[in-house]
Amino acid sequence: MDFGATLLPILASGLAVGAIYALIGVTYNTMYSTSRVMSFTSGQLGMLGGVLGSLFILRLGMPLIVGFVLTIMACAIVGVVTEFIAVRPVLKSLDQHLYVLSTLALALMIQQFTAIEWSTEPQPFPRLFGLGSGSFDEKFWLPVAACAFTIGALELMQRHTLVGRAFLAVSEDNFAARSLGLPERNLRIASYALAGAIGGLAGFAGGELMLAFFANGGQYNFYGFVPVALGGLGNNRGSIVGGLALGLFQQAANFLVGGVFASVAVFIAFIIVLLAAPQGLFGTSTARRV
Amino acid sequence: MTILRRTISRRAFTAGSAGTLALGAPLLSRPALAQAEPLRIGWLAALTGPSSAPAVGFNRGVVYAVEAINAGGGVKGRKIELVTRDTQGDPTKAVNATQEMISAAKVHAIWGPTNSGEALATTPIMARFKMPNLHPCVVNSLIDTAKYPNAFRMAPSNSQWDDAVRGYVLKIVKAKKVAVIGDTTGYGTTAAGDSVTAFKKDGADVVYTAQIDSTQPDMMPDMLRMKNAGAEAIVMWSVSTGMAARMFNARAALNWDVPFVGHPSLGSGEVAGLIEKPANWEKVYVINYRSCSFDAAGKLPTRTQEFLDKSKGKIDLTNTLLWWVASGVDVIEIFAKAVTETGSSNSEDIIKFLNAQTKYPGLFGTYTWNTGEHNGFPTEEIVMGAANSSKDGALKLAPGY
Repeated sequence: MDFGATLLPILASGLAVGAIYALIGVTYNTMYSTSRVMSFTSGQLGMLGGVLGSLFILRLGMPLIVGFVLTIMACAIVGVVTEFIAVRPVLKSLDQHLYVLSTLALALMIQQFTAIEWSTEPQPFPRLFGLGSGSFDEKFWLPVAACAFTIGALELMQRHTLVGRAFLAVSEDNFAARSLGLPERNLRIASYALAGAIGGLAGFAGGELMLAFFANGGQYNFYGFVPVALGGLGNNRGSIVGGLALGLFQQAANFLVGGVFASVAVFIAFIIVLLAAPQGLFGTSTARRV
Repeated sequence: MTILRRTISRRAFTAGSAGTLALGAPLLSRPALAQAEPLRIGWLAALTGPSSAPAVGFNRGVVYAVEAINAGGGVKGRKIELVTRDTQGDPTKAVNATQEMISAAKVHAIWGPTNSGEALATTPIMARFKMPNLHPCVVNSLIDTAKYPNAFRMAPSNSQWDDAVRGYVLKIVKAKKVAVIGDTTGYGTTAAGDSVTAFKKDGADVVYTAQIDSTQPDMMPDMLRMKNAGAEAIVMWSVSTGMAARMFNARAALNWDVPFVGHPSLGSGEVAGLIEKPANWEKVYVINYRSCSFDAAGKLPTRTQEFLDKSKGKIDLTNTLLWWVASGVDVIEIFAKAVTETGSSNSEDIIKFLNAQTKYPGLFGTYTWNTGEHNGFPTEEIVMGAANSSKDGALKLAPGY
């Protein structure tokens, strides 16, 4: 295989889209950790990261840093809104899985609103730094850098801050955490804000590659869920590895067998992995009371 | 023997006369009312939603023409009343709107819908009610004079587009090896499949064919395969501007100057914002029309130029295509002429008028319909335009004409 002509583009685009999928996977996990809810707004947060970045910087002409901060803040707010509107009302009946409907409904509303107010066609995303070209263009390595930054920051937060440890405590056992006096509800709201920010960062960093397009949300929802399933629910490291592997496999399949068959190849691999390890590659099977 | 004599009292006579007058008045005054009744034209427009760009353009022409005719006194004294319903590109909404237009709004003719998915659902309904219908949808099966004697196409069909593209690639570009690609939508798959069959029938060597996911972030894999296969022209059937721009960017990254020929969306203004540099949009030729093309001297056909001069400042042409606007104007003028010439807005009379048109000189095209052929747009008026040359919604003729 010719490294320059084939392998390098596969690596560049595979790692880039893989990093975006991985970050959406982390978004799913962050919301799940404090609420036990798989929120289908995760992909829409990624879409909003791209659309709002383009809106603030290109359309409204704001400086890069201001546009970035506003995008992340807006996505964090959407995360909190998700908690209030689509998650909190159904928490009491988690076993009925009503959150599937409520979060999916909110996700569709976000997508339709964006389509009406923004555009139904892909819109340009600003060139952020103008660095690199070819396979080393910033559009390929920015999502990877964002992914590395996010996983590093999450590790630091969980190991070295009180809030991070409180998150872990709630995700381990929220009843026990509450009985210890931890503000479970506030921590859940904070985790949704954090998830919103991570989703927004994924979309912003991947904006140059994926463009500011309302339909990206559905794609992120779908492909972002795969690393979660591959890596094990709630396992961020597993999501990162699963996301990057998915991106590389998808792009390799694109190069080797073509677009339509690439999707088929990805899902065949996904099903094989789940048949071999139903709890995900990095998940642990939980004990079940009988 | 008793003879019964019935006499009419004055009171009974008065009451009877009043009743007769009250009941008979609508009948007596019907001709006068019909004259004053507005000419209602239904307009099934996908004004919002994913495929709204064409309808927004058509709508500008429609509104302009209606206002112009009404300002001039209407059609034989009857004002045109536009009954517009936003279908959002959704066949279900289009069906509901069609039924409402026919049953409740009592329209005299319907224009639209403007995309084939909706038209496939609405055409049989309109046929059932014998509703005169003009539409610009490309799917071949939408025109069938036996099944849908009320439906008339005033834009090219898919096979006419295909013929025009193939003719340009084989006769003007003189490409022997052709790559044909489409997106993964129903339209992209069908159009690319038909195109491949027709190219092969004409003896061309189709060296690469693929359905490509339009959301794929990197088009380099397909571009590399097409280059390695030796393609001398790429024919592309997709309405996705994102996919088009990514294709053009990937072609530039490969330093490859192969021409792209295909769907009008390759020349959409949206593409301009998505390409990495303006040069990436060179050598892209899209389906366009004689009436909306600048010749080598930079001039539009006289009829089109006169319309632009007349409508200057009244129609926004900066973000739409001129042929969409021109079609909208034509449709309203055709319906108005049908009523003027037949003196009637009955369905049968409008359909009879449409069936009698030979080389009707419209703004967009020269239409011919008869009882055996409802594809009204002439193939020879379809040309290729340079995608990056849009001005006032019109394009420069592609090289070779």
